[in-house]
Amino acid sequence: MQKVEKKVADQYFKIRTTLVVVFLIIGFSVSFGVAFFAEAINESGAMIMGMPAHYYMGAQGAVVTFVILLFLNAIISDQVDKKFGIDEKQNVKISGGGADH
Amino acid sequence: MDQQSLVSLILILLTFALYIGISVYNRAKVTSDFYVASRGIPPFWNGMAIGGDWMSAASFIGMAGTVMILGYDGLAYIMGWTGGYLLLTFLLAPQLRKYGRFTVPEFIGDRFDSNPARLIAAIATIIISFTYIIGQLSGSGVVIGRLLNLPASTGVMIGVVVIAIYASLGGMKGVTWTQVAQYMILITAYIVPIVFLSLQISGNPLPWLTYGNVVNELGALDRELGISEYFAPFEEGNRAQFLALLFTLMVGTAALPHVIVRFYTVTTMKAARWSGAWALLFIALLYLSAPAYAAFSRFVIMTQVVGSPIDDLPAWTEPWLNTGLLEIADSDGDGVLAWEDLVIHQDIVVMATPEIANLGMFVVGLVAAGAMAAALSTAGGLLITISSSFAHDIYYRLMKPDATDSNRLLAGRVAIVLSTIAAGLVALDPPGVITQIIAWAFALAGGTFFPVLFLGVWWKRMNRQGAIAGMLGGLTVTLTYIFLSMGGVSFFGIQDTGAGVFGVTANLLLVIIVSLMTPPPEQRLQDEAVDLRYPEQMTYKDGEVWMNDEQAK
Repeated sequence: MQKVEKKVADQYFKIRTTLVVVFLIIGFSVSFGVAFFAEAINESGAMIMGMPAHYYMGAQGAVVTFVILLFLNAIISDQVDKKFGIDEKQNVKISGGGADH
Repeated sequence: MDQQSLVSLILILLTFALYIGISVYNRAKVTSDFYVASRGIPPFWNGMAIGGDWMSAASFIGMAGTVMILGYDGLAYIMGWTGGYLLLTFLLAPQLRKYGRFTVPEFIGDRFDSNPARLIAAIATIIISFTYIIGQLSGSGVVIGRLLNLPASTGVMIGVVVIAIYASLGGMKGVTWTQVAQYMILITAYIVPIVFLSLQISGNPLPWLTYGNVVNELGALDRELGISEYFAPFEEGNRAQFLALLFTLMVGTAALPHVIVRFYTVTTMKAARWSGAWALLFIALLYLSAPAYAAFSRFVIMTQVVGSPIDDLPAWTEPWLNTGLLEIADSDGDGVLAWEDLVIHQDIVVMATPEIANLGMFVVGLVAAGAMAAALSTAGGLLITISSSFAHDIYYRLMKPDATDSNRLLAGRVAIVLSTIAAGLVALDPPGVITQIIAWAFALAGGTFFPVLFLGVWWKRMNRQGAIAGMLGGLTVTLTYIFLSMGGVSFFGIQDTGAGVFGVTANLLLVIIVSLMTPPPEQRLQDEAVDLRYPEQMTYKDGEVWMNDEQAK
């Protein structure tokens, strides 16, 4: 066991939390944000992939964005863990597989 | 029995044999197999199992029809049921996995060190999951009944027997791998018909790229008819209702116990993050296809079926007219079928489309097997959740903490069989409209659990009084709003399906206010909450973070 500087530990938490907040803001804008302005977008006549833009965002755009955000989160979080010297093998060992309670 | 029924029946029986075979091979031997599959499921496969667990009979059979009939307003379901995975994977799943328990009520009971909170959470879990499973069973009964020309109740009983066998034998371990198989079957069954439709209509086999033009043409057809355009927003409600429904579905998705528990089956926080990403990718394959299904079906009906003489309709219409899910009335009496003459029930779109487009007996049978897989995979996950609330949270943690492992395993198996029978009996004569009851389950899950889990993970000052007040208050407000809006009273035009907005707000405020008005929780409990900020290798203890760097073996 080795002590981690408070500054380093706080920094880890801050980076992870910032990531989550940024991803959620993007995720909410493409869903709630677009739906909120759907009438205006419909009247503007904007098109994506051959259909009205607000319809496209509801049917495909938002869902595709969500998937991309989740993969970005998984990949970036792995890199953050690596930067802070986290070893996934240790994690598996500590979390103890079928640890009972 | 005609040839079509025979083909469908053979396909369905083959898949049943596969599910039972998988669970015999993956029998649960200890309680940790039974509840969390020994926490050894790789993220990719867990993602696929979440896909099967998540996508129910309602997603498979009903969603494309909902989008077709509601137009833009139906897209709240597409965004809400996928967006929930953002909240779940970012805010809850990895932390709940690190906490390392078997069930959601167990997290709530241990995190706040309170048995009353545990009991309330266990009862709420049972109510929510039970509501949900009734929808699955009666849905599968209707499908089987229609496709095999049996009474719906016989269809329900067949489903009940098959699930009871494989869920009690395999536990979570068996259910995980059957859900993987069920996902593969259901996604194939969903995508094959629209690939053929896309080829027929546009000559391109990729429906996701081609249906945009179809949506636009539908708008033009609607303008000719003088009805509001297919893609016009908020035709069926108002903006507040759309946003409230979207919010309720998202938050409910993130708080459904049978979904959360799937994240307990992986090894680490990292694996939980990857599970969430894979899960949404697999789920998105179906959710991106549903609007295409809707657009193609509506296009085929508007261009090929509309305009035929009323007394010489295509052959596929007849069985659906008999079920009452399709109604035709020649309102202007000119003997020609017009779009306004058709009343189409949302549930027939997915099942009738292969017949409308003449895709052959095998594809129709495949869709039947897919619908059954969707219903069974969700029911399996729900049964594990219900039985764990009884056998683990109530029997083991509250009543008999000294029970042996083999007794607990037996209790789990008995609970599964009993809850399957109970759910099957209720599903024979379901109370109310199924889609509506399912919508309530989301409002109840969000209103009861989401703020408590969210703040329980992220706010160390939250205490047991806050948790109990939040759960009870959220549940009460959600139920009250559902009953008020059924009785005609509503705020901002929000209907009962959007009740989650009020339940979640009340829950959140109660947790914060009551926690701050009562003494803070013990230091030990606060430390446990802070510990969830870091990966497994880092431990928070007495205000300091420690790194476990002993060599991994």
